[in-house]
Amino acid sequence: MADAKTQIMDQIRQQSALSNARSLIEKVNEHCFERCVPKPGSSLSSAETTCYTHCMEKYMAAWNTVSRTYLAQAQKGAGAAAGGSPFGS
Amino acid sequence: MDSSAISTELAEGLKNLSPRDKQELNTFITQETQKSQIQATIHSLTDLCFKKCITSKISGGQLDRNEQPCVQNCVDRYMDANMVVIRHLEQMRTHI
Repeated sequence: MADAKTQIMDQIRQQSALSNARSLIEKVNEHCFERCVPKPGSSLSSAETTCYTHCMEKYMAAWNTVSRTYLAQAQKGAGAAAGGSPFGS
Repeated sequence: MDSSAISTELAEGLKNLSPRDKQELNTFITQETQKSQIQATIHSLTDLCFKKCITSKISGGQLDRNEQPCVQNCVDRYMDANMVVIRHLEQMRTHI
């Protein structure tokens, strides 16, 4: 069995990945259900399913773009906004 | 949540960690916390910018040539706006 430190680290990594995935799924569903299923029928139509697939891909593309842009900005402003608290320490 | 629980065995093992391991674990947790805070921000920004930028009918899986720059601008302007708030608060603080 791995030592306590490694075990805790693995558990944290897992939990973190899980909660990240959970947030993504929640958001995708929120947006895509709104966009692709405006009037829920007795079953998901094939058009709705296709829309869902596209919407999901689009959302993830947006996620990646936001991530890249945000990180680039954060790095640029890291010197100016270090610490992040507007009220200082 | 069950999977986040720490077994008694593991808790026992944690007590017996060397100072060096404790330090390493501390650093790791700080980093992971920071990472998940950044991820949370990215999630909420994506939520916001998707709402603002993906307004036409969804007909493909990729961001089209209007959506892509819109999402980038959305993030950049959000950061600018954030700085405006911080600067203004800073100014208010010094004028009290």
